[in-house]
Amino acid sequence: MTGKELYQIWAPTNKRWVEWVRPVPFIHMDQPSSFYEVIDEDLPEIYYLKEVTKDTAIFVDFDGARSIEEGIALAKRGFRPIPIFNGTNPNFETKATTNNASIEPLLRWGGELLTQIPLEEDAPPAFLLDENRLHRYKSTPSIFDNSWDIYPQDIPSPDYFLQHGITKLIVCGNQFHHDLEKVLYRYQKKLQILFTNGYEPPKEVRIKKRKEE
Amino acid sequence: MKLVTIPDYENYRIDAMFDCYKWDPQFLDSNTISKHALVLTKQEARSLARLTELLDQETRDAELFLNTHLSLAKKLRLPKKLLPELKRMKNYDPKRHIRLTRYDFHPTKEGEWAISEVNSDVPGGFAEASLLPKLALQYLKSNKVESIDFGSHLVKALSKKIKKKGTVFFVHCTSYSDDRQVMQYLGDQMEQHGYHALYGAIDHLRFQNQEAISILDGHQGKVDGIVRFTPLEWVKDIKPKTWSGYFDTTTPSCNHPIAIFAQTKRFPFVWEQLESYGLSFSTWRKLLPNTIEVTKKVPPGYLYKPAWGRVGEKISIQEACEEGEYQKILKEVKRHPKRYILQKQFSSQLLESPEGEWFHVCIGSYAVDGKHAGFYARMSRKLRIDSDAEDIPVLIERT
Repeated sequence: MTGKELYQIWAPTNKRWVEWVRPVPFIHMDQPSSFYEVIDEDLPEIYYLKEVTKDTAIFVDFDGARSIEEGIALAKRGFRPIPIFNGTNPNFETKATTNNASIEPLLRWGGELLTQIPLEEDAPPAFLLDENRLHRYKSTPSIFDNSWDIYPQDIPSPDYFLQHGITKLIVCGNQFHHDLEKVLYRYQKKLQILFTNGYEPPKEVRIKKRKEE
Repeated sequence: MKLVTIPDYENYRIDAMFDCYKWDPQFLDSNTISKHALVLTKQEARSLARLTELLDQETRDAELFLNTHLSLAKKLRLPKKLLPELKRMKNYDPKRHIRLTRYDFHPTKEGEWAISEVNSDVPGGFAEASLLPKLALQYLKSNKVESIDFGSHLVKALSKKIKKKGTVFFVHCTSYSDDRQVMQYLGDQMEQHGYHALYGAIDHLRFQNQEAISILDGHQGKVDGIVRFTPLEWVKDIKPKTWSGYFDTTTPSCNHPIAIFAQTKRFPFVWEQLESYGLSFSTWRKLLPNTIEVTKKVPPGYLYKPAWGRVGEKISIQEACEEGEYQKILKEVKRHPKRYILQKQFSSQLLESPEGEWFHVCIGSYAVDGKHAGFYARMSRKLRIDSDAEDIPVLIERT
């Protein structure tokens, strides 16, 4: 299956929210890669959601592999997983800060499973992020920095969420990362923001204003 | 000029992403891949090409002159950190480097053209000006229109000045996939012509004896050409230790930092003085709306533009601003008036789509080493063509 075909599974035509599926990792899939990921085929349990309501969108922000697994588990609970991975790969044989290619086998695996999961037209979205995007430590200046951030333009606006019945955003991850906090700071004026570590029930959070906002 | 609707749009959009390097198809709530193509008459295309070459001649003459008369560049108010580096450009030889510019044209209600700026330093939109029109032609299945392949013109110009089968280093902000898509398109084209493409950041190049050396992991060694997509005014903030080398390198560069003179929107403020030395800006004066320093009393019909603004950002068109944005711009102008200019607003001519929607259009027209090289257009329902505008392929009527 080509990257383009796989993309069309994750972003089927005319379905809600799929405009935000980023093509970047799917495009890179067609290039030779030496990366293989061991996939844990047991889907995680979604402890933190007692019931699925269509007024809630989720941002899953674990490492890429876990986010995709979590995304498929959420699809089984009625959410549409929306991968918004946006990192590029370095030249062949160049060391990089971030292994963005590691999610590619998972996207293939998840895509195959997605074809078997019926999703409703108005399924709420679960945006998938890779927390490794923020690894930008360079032990030497020669290393390629392909870390990346999430920006406001990468997701729907607060008004779009509201117009489509979403009033709550749950961020699910090991921590609420600063780039996502920065993006969602303005959203909290119109939407309720909650955070969960993936086990405990989501709790409402107030994001503090950062200097640069 | 007219808009035509692209059939089978959903598949076209997917093909644009996967076959035309359009990796950023969505910006907030806006789809950035237009459902239309822009068709220019042959006469319009010729007129734009001619004006582009005239503008580019004036721009290149001015930058060469300013490079040897730096005291005349004071009114440009170039970033202070850049000033010591500009003295290093004395060895600049236009025959050695590749000069790429893009002039942004707008049709006006008076039936003429106005330009809003020149993207002098790091113009983008390469694949949109090369592959997207070809893709639109495939979908339209019409033999009445054709397109210009900008990429092939740029590759030809690069190949003329960069050693055959050499290594070309594509300098960009490596964390941004939308920068990488521009570099990757050109890199892939150069590889098809036998070159070796390396992708890295501004600090992955060092300079020895004025020649560029890659320190990129796994690819250390001499570089035969530089294509830079990191804006110079950002470089001064990144402060890589060896950035000075970009200013006097003999390694063929596209663009060389000479491009900084025309990048600021304060460029018109040096024209009068340069004209007294015999330089001409007659085409610029004809096409660029009157531009003045920020004054306390704003003349009617003028708007603020940031001197180093890009992609329409922070232009004070009130009806196009987001909530609170207009007030924010006014505050910033008050605090830093020299960072802005005042420019007379032109009256943009709306174009109607076959479906009855109205759009403002901006046609970027490229010059490579003084020759017209193609078009990159964007359009918007808003008066300001900014980041959420749509990319629209430009086609030209054959007759």
